[in-house]
Amino acid sequence: MEWWEVLVQQTINGLTRGAVFALIALGYTMVYGIVELINFAHGDVFMLGLFISLAWFTLLGVTTTLGPWQLITILPLVFLLTMLTTALLNVSIDRLAYRPLRRSTRLAPLITAIGVSFMLENLALLWKGPAPIAYPDVFPSVDILREWFGVESAIFVTTKDILVVGATIPLMIALNYFVTRTRWGKAMRATAQDRETAQAMGIDVERTILLTFFVGGALAGAAGVIQGMYYNIGMWWMGYQAGLRAFTAAVLGGIGNMPGAALGGLVIGFLSAWSDQYISARWTNAIVFSILILVLVFRPQGLLGDRTPEKV
Amino acid sequence: MTARRGLGGFALAALLIGYPFLDRALGLQTVHAVSDGMIYVLLALGLNIVVGYAGMLDLGYAAFFAIGAYAMGLLNSPVLGSPLYGYAWSFWLCIWIAAAVSALLGTLIGAPTLRVRGDYLAIITLGFGEIIPVAIRNLGDVTVEIGGWRPVERLNLTGGENGVNPVGRPYLPGVPFETDPVPWYFLILVIGLFSLWAMSRLQDSRLGRAWMAIREDETAADCTGVNPISTKLLAFALGASFSGFAGSIYAAKLQAITPGAFEFQVSIMLLCMVVLGGAGSLKGVILGAMLITLFDRVVLAEATFFLRWLGRSLGVPLLVTADLTLWRWFFFGLGLVLVMLLRPQGLAGRRIRPMLVPDTDDAVEVAPPPAPRVEAIPGWLRERAHRVGAAAGTGPILEVRGLVKRFGGIVALNEIDLVVPRGSIIGLIGPNGAGKTTFFNVVTGLVRPDGGVITFEGRPLAGLRPNAIVARGIARTFQSIRLFANMTVLENVLVGEHCRLRSTVPGAVFRPPAVMAEEARARERARGLLAFVGLADKDGDLARNLPYGDQRRLEIARALATEPRLLLLDEPTAGMNPRETETLTELIGLVRRELALSVLLIEHDMQVVMTISDRITVLDYGTRIAEGTPAEIQRHPRVIEAYLGTGYEPAAPGGAI
Amino acid sequence: MLALDDVHTYYGNIRALRGISLTVQPREIVTLIGANGAGKTTTLRTILGAVRPRRGTVTFNGQRLDGLATDRIVRLGIAQSPEGRRIFPRMTVLENLEMGAFARADREAIAPDLERVFTLFPRLRERTAQKGGTLSGGEQQMLAIGRALMARPSLLLLDEPSMGLSPILVDAIFKIVVDINRQGTTILLVEQNARMALRVAHRGYVIQTGRIVLQDAAADLLRSDLVRKTYLGEK
Repeated sequence: MEWWEVLVQQTINGLTRGAVFALIALGYTMVYGIVELINFAHGDVFMLGLFISLAWFTLLGVTTTLGPWQLITILPLVFLLTMLTTALLNVSIDRLAYRPLRRSTRLAPLITAIGVSFMLENLALLWKGPAPIAYPDVFPSVDILREWFGVESAIFVTTKDILVVGATIPLMIALNYFVTRTRWGKAMRATAQDRETAQAMGIDVERTILLTFFVGGALAGAAGVIQGMYYNIGMWWMGYQAGLRAFTAAVLGGIGNMPGAALGGLVIGFLSAWSDQYISARWTNAIVFSILILVLVFRPQGLLGDRTPEKV
Repeated sequence: MTARRGLGGFALAALLIGYPFLDRALGLQTVHAVSDGMIYVLLALGLNIVVGYAGMLDLGYAAFFAIGAYAMGLLNSPVLGSPLYGYAWSFWLCIWIAAAVSALLGTLIGAPTLRVRGDYLAIITLGFGEIIPVAIRNLGDVTVEIGGWRPVERLNLTGGENGVNPVGRPYLPGVPFETDPVPWYFLILVIGLFSLWAMSRLQDSRLGRAWMAIREDETAADCTGVNPISTKLLAFALGASFSGFAGSIYAAKLQAITPGAFEFQVSIMLLCMVVLGGAGSLKGVILGAMLITLFDRVVLAEATFFLRWLGRSLGVPLLVTADLTLWRWFFFGLGLVLVMLLRPQGLAGRRIRPMLVPDTDDAVEVAPPPAPRVEAIPGWLRERAHRVGAAAGTGPILEVRGLVKRFGGIVALNEIDLVVPRGSIIGLIGPNGAGKTTFFNVVTGLVRPDGGVITFEGRPLAGLRPNAIVARGIARTFQSIRLFANMTVLENVLVGEHCRLRSTVPGAVFRPPAVMAEEARARERARGLLAFVGLADKDGDLARNLPYGDQRRLEIARALATEPRLLLLDEPTAGMNPRETETLTELIGLVRRELALSVLLIEHDMQVVMTISDRITVLDYGTRIAEGTPAEIQRHPRVIEAYLGTGYEPAAPGGAI
Repeated sequence: MLALDDVHTYYGNIRALRGISLTVQPREIVTLIGANGAGKTTTLRTILGAVRPRRGTVTFNGQRLDGLATDRIVRLGIAQSPEGRRIFPRMTVLENLEMGAFARADREAIAPDLERVFTLFPRLRERTAQKGGTLSGGEQQMLAIGRALMARPSLLLLDEPSMGLSPILVDAIFKIVVDINRQGTTILLVEQNARMALRVAHRGYVIQTGRIVLQDAAADLLRSDLVRKTYLGEK
């Protein structure tokens, strides 16, 4: 491949990775914005999204590539079912593990979140065994450039890439509509900006928090479905790494800031793809975590966030 | 009581010494596993310094474990071609070098990052915990090429994925450190006991109190003379050095180090030990470490056997194939969650609870606070005051010119001028939001001004940290009491003396006569101050349990312990009943008279301010609108306007403007 | 309509209210004045349920408020313009107003109420899409009051509406306060600017270090010198 072909290919890779990271990062940022909690278990909810979607496919009897009719009926159905399941999972985690610690220090719920993360990972391990699981090729993979446009190119763009974009963009549009146009979405934003005043408006703060976890969990689940269908493989430990990378994305964009999370996701997606290609996949983790550390130390408000000084 | 404890201690010692021989006699072969477990106990103790003593959540502690192990590997292994390998003293030297390298790395990592918020700091440590194994994995084959020049070619720094093996063993004449686990057991035991001893010494020292104060309330500690950054860094580096120490011994014992042994799970398992046992409690951490190791290596396996037996007996196939060891991390995670929800202080830790709300009920007969007596003023304080007073000049003790502070678009302080003449009491008043507390925060260094000059005793205070300003001689109290709630009354005052004492780590551990004398003097002084403010019999009470008025007076005692020459009091009588207010007012007057202290006080209780102040400055919306004697201020038209509103005219009955 | 009876509230570890008793009758403007630190805002926070009194009762139209959650109290018909405005900074003027109406069951009546608020505060109508944090102090105060009105409360709590405003704006705001009261809303006004408050109110209470030390018809309080003495610490 020519150098520019490599660059384009890796950029496309970065885009697809970035979309998944963005979806996960949104969950982190929304929860942090409203309760100032780093939901360490969020990455594992993403992982379980992949596992659960596989279970739904199996339950619906899907084992091979979906036909065109099924693409319009079964696929959205599995998306919905998975998102619902992970949303409920996230809400339960908050109810059981985080809510009792609402008034505690910032560190106690973080420790609890780590505990939950380990529990979820172990459950996945017990469910499907230690080896990576094969996700059947449910989504048809068609080389677009070759078969649709008749272009002979070393660059590989498939219908799967369209899936990623086609699933992520409507989700983000829907999320945006939810937070800017609906009553509850606005209540979420108000609660994140000033909890006590939101309460004085008659907003039930606990319910709003639950809603936030619900939406965040749903997005993570969607990311899991996309991941499974794109890469056709799932590992019980993937939540840890994906979670940390997505958290880096959220912090980079500005924790608490939703467009920031989306932007951060894309940036980390690109960076990780380019790093894999041009440096080495063995060093990518170190690079991503270095970015995390540098942002937290030198610019904790990220790219798009506001500075909030601590009160004395 | 002591006889029983002596007997218990003797029994414990006998058990510890006799155990490996008993094991050999019974053929149990558990000594290796137990020794490995003891290394983890050592690690947990080190983590305890960071998490338990200094209150920082460290999620990447295994990184220092790795550094220690690999330092030993680098320095003492034929695989990496080390020149130190093969000598009798190699091991004994290298463990210290490994500890030092870890401490150095801890300092390098900590220095820029420790000022970050707690939960972010946790993530940063996790980041380092991830980066270091990655680096270790990939530095097995290092080639540096600049242009066509290759100064470094295929250098093997860490053994890469394969790790390092063998590693040089310790050498003691007559004692073989080979496959027999017994010498290792005793080596680790001795090191463990020494570490425990050193740590308990540290806990009960000037440094230990500083760590506890930071953990309780970092800002208050800063304003009491404790430098939070250097103190936290010390904890971090010490913790790192313990980890490095343990890592180097681990490397020599195992004879093989691989990067896989230092992953995130290890950091979390150590965290589990500390959290379960009780952060900050040595007994707790050991208990936690033992329980977790026991659970991990014994309970899960035994429970599996039991379940399988049960399955066979009852004919339940599911149980027959059960393997609880696969549930390891589930149980650790569950343990963390349950501990945090049900017993956050762990099994043996001290409950860190926020300040109690004391019940100051006028209706109930509360013993009136003892009036402060001139004779009760500690001699040393009076002597020091006179010495300083004689040496001092006659100029004002504090001079503020043109002070400006902006928060975003709002001007909180607008070119404020204020002078505190030596030995005077100056009142600072003003309506809500006038900028009074901001003024205090700027003078004490918590907030950086945007303009203006502050001069204290003739020297500028520009850019100093709060604890440095305390060392210069300015002490403050807070409007909402900020005591170290879970420390005793005496300890609170001792923290006040922190900036006037000198001992550090070696002094704390080895306690030479000079340090012992310093501690004794410090305690005597603290008791004298407590007697002076009327808290004589309450040395050992926890600060959070004191009645409200006592808490206020304790704050003042703590401030006096820093040997200030200027006292900044922020609403000292807030929430007090009239009797307590009167006593406090007397105390302030006494302190000014007998100790030649200057006082600047913010107050809302107008009666107090007007009675006690020599002069008063009035702020309104960040601007100084008046300055003068109390009588002048009470009649000053702008002051009346600021408090009561503009345009005084009698008006028609309510409802019409 | 509203009655506080021997309320003691602890705020942090300071006893802020020591036996406060006051009443507000329907269609009145009652003002609670006092130096800062005296307990005015704590009184409002106790009414709204942000803090719970240790002793004493808070009753609204016969129903006990102490112990209820804030959102329930708000649904009973009380709204607040908080001290310092507390506008949602990253939400627009319109969104802020919408949040004020969040708890309302009669959603069809929201649009006419929005119109009413814009009529009262024409400046807000010009800025519906502007983010709250970028408004001037006076505009934020108008928005805070407007936001409270969107709940169509029967009792409006105003906490220091004059803070940080120029005298002209203070005049304008207080004129609007009188208007709102004439249109039927009962108002409990907490203020540090005693004169302005006493000029618009029917009755006044003076609070000092957590206790009510004076209470009278507003006009009488305005004429006497007692208020000044209390504020400035003369015996």
